[in-house]
Parts: sequence; structure tokens; C-alpha cells
Amino acid sequence: MNGWGWVAFAYATAYGSLAVFAGSIAWRIRNTRRSIGETE
Amino acid sequence: MQAQTLNRRWPWVAIVLSLTIAFVFAMISPAADSLQGFERVRIMYVHVPAAWLAYLAFFVTFGGSVGYLITRNLRWDRIAAASAEIGVYFTGLAIALGMIWGKSTWGVWWTWDARLTLTAIMFFVYLGYLALRRTTDDSVLRAGRAAVLGVLGAVQIPLVHFSVIWWRGLHQGPSVVRADGPAIQDPLMLTALIVGVLAFTVVYVSLMVKRIELIHLEDRKAAIDQSIERPVAGEAVTVPDLGGSS
Amino acid sequence: MTTGFWHQVTAVINRDLLRERRRGDVLWITIPFGAIALLLVPLAIGTDAILLRQIGPGMYWVIVMLFGVLVAVGKASSETLPQQDASALLGLDPAAGFVGRAASATLLLLIFETVVGLVAVGLYDVSIVGVPWLIITLLIVAIGLALLGTLTGSIVNSTSAGTALVPLLVAPLSVPLLLGATQSYEGLRLGHSILSWVLLMAAVVLVVAIIGVLTARPLQET
Repeated sequence: MNGWGWVAFAYATAYGSLAVFAGSIAWRIRNTRRSIGETE
Repeated sequence: MQAQTLNRRWPWVAIVLSLTIAFVFAMISPAADSLQGFERVRIMYVHVPAAWLAYLAFFVTFGGSVGYLITRNLRWDRIAAASAEIGVYFTGLAIALGMIWGKSTWGVWWTWDARLTLTAIMFFVYLGYLALRRTTDDSVLRAGRAAVLGVLGAVQIPLVHFSVIWWRGLHQGPSVVRADGPAIQDPLMLTALIVGVLAFTVVYVSLMVKRIELIHLEDRKAAIDQSIERPVAGEAVTVPDLGGSS
Repeated sequence: MTTGFWHQVTAVINRDLLRERRRGDVLWITIPFGAIALLLVPLAIGTDAILLRQIGPGMYWVIVMLFGVLVAVGKASSETLPQQDASALLGLDPAAGFVGRAASATLLLLIFETVVGLVAVGLYDVSIVGVPWLIITLLIVAIGLALLGTLTGSIVNSTSAGTALVPLLVAPLSVPLLLGATQSYEGLRLGHSILSWVLLMAAVVLVVAIIGVLTARPLQET
């Protein structure tokens, strides 16, 4: 794999995992809001 | 409604904006200093910021732990907990990017150099902290225990740091292997690096805001769950008729 | 209990050692566990004498770190909550409780180190070198690991965590002890000075002892 390939791999890992991590927080916030809304 | 939505959404916007700027800088900065074309150095523009955040988040968890032990205010515990979860993510990312750098440069996924090994150890300290938090439901109990572990872990880290560096210092081979990559001195490349660090710091703060918001919501939900009257199991169970005199 | 601090510490030590004499967890469980671990390794990686002599010291210290800490855990978790409440009501200073438990764990760890050490000498042909400093190393490691295990045991206390949480928490924090011990042994074998490593391990002991004593009361009150 040439230089750009490795760079792409690294950035995909970084931004991809960050999207998943941030997304999981957003998802949990949404779910918790919903379940509070249901019981309130 | 508009104001409320912006209120809630600004962290995500901040993350996307700052990372876009950092990405642009990373891609347009020159890839060579004194060496021939060296695209892989761009990996440093995400690896170094991730490692920086790993240590920052750790420090904030330490600060939150101390803050809780002194004030007994749960707000400090929330900061410590949120920072630990975000920190474990960035530590893992720093390790992954360090491994990608190592594989691309020396052909091995792991080099036992001091910094990489240290980051791996820190990863497990974080994991242990999160594992401990999961074992206790009572928020006050959990906060106290986690705070002590937070202080213990943080104070031990410098000692771990020295021990690993001394250890590696004894085994330095002819090729000095630096997992943190080449020393970046070209000012334009340095700019990309600094922009990356700033951007990731914005990401950290945004994630903290959201993660603490989640903690607040979960606390509210827990409080509601406890106060709701639910039918007790006993109502569903009838007394068995044993046929004798009641 | 209105007796002095060190009197309380002695009382805790006596209680712990009496408990060990009765139940024998360390003698019958933890030491054999460490010993069989040393036995299993050559089965897995090969019995070549040169290889074993090379990895012997390192394997020994890793086993001490991972399994030896269980000695300290046993002390903390064998106290049930009612027993701890009773101690508190009787006026036991939590710091004295911590120091006492760490001290008894140190003693038991020294026994663990010695017995498992003899097994390592036998199975791996590890040579015993630099005896006065070696003993100092064994002592410092025992004290440091006992302190780490006791403090971590109090943190994890009475949770549904299972027995693996304390070793998990202690393992990364024991790295300075592990490196200090292994490098000290290597240094003694090669005739180098090991003072800096001994001082590093002593620093670990000091730091953990201070934190343990300072947080003993806050932990009890949570």
C-alpha cells in the first residue's frame, strides 16, 4: 500500500470511529429523552 | 423551538466544522520537509491530536476525582465519568493510529517503544475505571469509589511513565524507533499539526457537553423510574389453597 | 476502641493472620495457583532449558504481580459488611484498618514470593543472585503490591464485581513494580547498580501508602 493508501486508512479509522462514538452518544440521548417523555 | 434545537445541536456542528478545517489543513500542507515525498506524515496530524486528547481527558478525570473528594458535589463526578469515557475512546484511537503508523513505516503493527506501551497501559487504567463504575448503582457510593481510583491511577501514571522510559532506554537498538513519528519542524506542517490539536480539543469539549447532558438525562430517568408506582409482584400471586382450615 | 493507632494496626494484623491460619486461603489456594501457573508455561512454550532460564525471572515476577495480588484481595473482601460496620462502631480508625490489612498482606505475600520463587528456581533453573539486594527487592514488591491490592480491594469492596476486577485494576498500576523487580534482578545478575529501580519502587510504595491512608476514612463513609 502506498503512502496515500495508509493516510486514507488512518483518516477513515479516525473519522469513522469518531462518527460511531459521537453517534452512539446522540443515539443514547435520543432514546433516554424518548423514554422520559413516555413516562412523564 | 429553533433556539432550543440550536442549543442542543451546536456541539455536533462544532465537531463537523473543526474537523473539516483540520482535514483541509492536513491535506494541503506540504508532505516533505528535508525528506523525499512523505505522504504518511499526514497520519501524524490525527495521531498526535488523539494522543494529546487521551492525556487531556485523563487529566480532567483526575481533576474531577479530586474535585469530588474535596467538595462531595456530584457535578465533579459527572465530569470525571464523562471524560473517562471520551478518554478511553481517544486512547484507543491513538493506539490504533500509532499502530497504523508503525505498520506503514516499519511493517509491524506493534513496536514496544515507550510511548506506545505507555498509551496501552493508560488504556487499561481507563478501562478499569469504567469497569469499576459499572459495578455500583448507587451514585454516591460509585462517585466516592471512582474518585479514589481516579486519584490513585493518575498519581501512579508518572511513575509508570518513568519506569517504561527507563526500561526502553536500556534496550535502544541501533535504529531508534519513534512511534510518535518524525520531528516536524517545517512551519507549514507545524501549522497543520496545531490546527489538528485545536480541532480535536473542540471535539473533546463538544463531546463532553453532550456526554454530560446524557448523564443528566439518565439521572432524571433513574429518578423517575424509582418514583413510579409499579404493581408489586404479590398482586399477581394468589395464596395457595392447601385445603386445610384457613 | 480508644487505643492508639499502632495498637489498632497490630490488632488488625493479628486478626488477619489468625483468619489465614484458620482458613488458609493463601497457603492452600493462592500459592498453589501461582505454582501451577509456572508449571503450565513450559508446557505451552517449550521446555528448552536455555529458553526457560531466559524467561524464568520474568515469568516469576509476572505471576507475582497477577496472582500475588489475590493475597491482598482476600484480606479486604473477606470482611463482610456487618463485620466492617462492627469495626467502625468499635471505633477502629479506618486508616489503621488499612495499614493493618496491608501489613498482613505484605507478610503473606512474602511467603507467596518465597514459595513460588523456589518453584521458579526448580522448574526454570533461575539463579539466586545478589542476595541482600534481592531480599530488599522482594520486600519492596511485597509491600507495594500489598498496598495496591488492599487499597483497590477497599474500592471494589462488596460489589458484585467478581474476583477479577481487583487484579484488572492493579495490573496496569503494578507496571513500575514489575519493571523495577525484573530490571533489578537483571542488574544483580550482571553486576549493575540497581539503586534507581529500587528508589522508583520505593516511590510507588510511598505514593500508594499516602493515598491509602488519606482515603481510608472517605471510603468508609461512602
